[in-house]
Amino acid sequence: MSEPAKITLEVQRYHPEQDSGPRWQRYTVPYTAEMSVLEGLQYIKDHLDGSLTFRWSCRMAICGSCGCMIDGEPELACHVFLRDYAPGPVRVAALDHFPIQRDLVIDHSDFLEKLETVHSYLIPAEERTPADGTHRQTPQAMADYYDYAQCINCLLCYAACPQYGWHPDFAGPAALALLQRYNLDDRDGGHRLRERVIDAEQGVWGCTLVGYCSEVCPKGVDPARAINQNKAGSAARYLLGWWRPGRRRGEDRE
Amino acid sequence: MSRPPVYRPSMRGWWQRHPAYRRYLLREGSSALLAAYALWLLAGLVSLAAGEAAYERWRELHGNPWVFGVHLAALLAALYHAVTWFRLLPLTLPALRWGGRRITDRTLVRGAWLTSVALSVGVWLYLLGGVR
Repeated sequence: MSEPAKITLEVQRYHPEQDSGPRWQRYTVPYTAEMSVLEGLQYIKDHLDGSLTFRWSCRMAICGSCGCMIDGEPELACHVFLRDYAPGPVRVAALDHFPIQRDLVIDHSDFLEKLETVHSYLIPAEERTPADGTHRQTPQAMADYYDYAQCINCLLCYAACPQYGWHPDFAGPAALALLQRYNLDDRDGGHRLRERVIDAEQGVWGCTLVGYCSEVCPKGVDPARAINQNKAGSAARYLLGWWRPGRRRGEDRE
Repeated sequence: MSRPPVYRPSMRGWWQRHPAYRRYLLREGSSALLAAYALWLLAGLVSLAAGEAAYERWRELHGNPWVFGVHLAALLAALYHAVTWFRLLPLTLPALRWGGRRITDRTLVRGAWLTSVALSVGVWLYLLGGVR
């Protein structure tokens, strides 16, 4: 039997108790054509170095846990194959723009806090009870937001966004795409509530349309579109605010 | 027990990290040449107001090969900026429908180009008429 093909992985390591900053460590891993980069990392952990730390769960691009920089591109480690980087070395690093806790594990609490502020849930436009039955909508109405509903919170878009890197207070691509998902839902009545997030400096105006977020999204969400669809409305609200006394700069909003 | 320290990556050399960032900088940077050209036109307008001699001096400057080169660069920058601007246009619009069908990005971009060309030709014809 012939020897299995091998690939070199150069993995970013950071153990805060001993490292002052990230360093690179090389591993040589045998691989087969169907092995993902995540499986390469798992091979390292199981056979070469048990101290390597990374997040993963579903192995099929649904859970959004295994996002990392692979040769400088934000990717889900389970969504790309070792064969495409052979013979290496392929560089695997923690997601860009996030604080690194350990090896490939980032601290995503900033995103979770932002997600809480965008009201990414249905706020029914009219009072309903379960007795009213299913809250239906037409396929056409659903088509408007369906793409945005595919977000799995994997944060690849944040790693792709230099504005988030420069200004961590920017709400960011995924949070604003999820905001737009509910704003476009014709059963929803929470627009006024979300306008406060949209119109803020850290809202849609933090985006300068680099557009790379939409390129890296593994689920085809297109956050750049979700954000920029809001700019015309936000600008109109700002200008109208100057015309209508008392409404200026959202003074009448709760 | 306190939490171990996190490592905060810097943004130094961010534009070297991906071609998408360099394309973005080129796109935004091309508007600087457009602004420079607008200032040049403004200088022409000011010299026109200052009198015939000043205006003729401004016109003569166009014979300078450097000035010609910058004009050429500004033209190329304007074309590049227009291409990228129209390409991004659909991202700023809500989902538009025609007869129940969603209008595709490609149709929107083509429509924007056609409108732009039609308006430019219109202005051009008007100016030609004015000269005659």
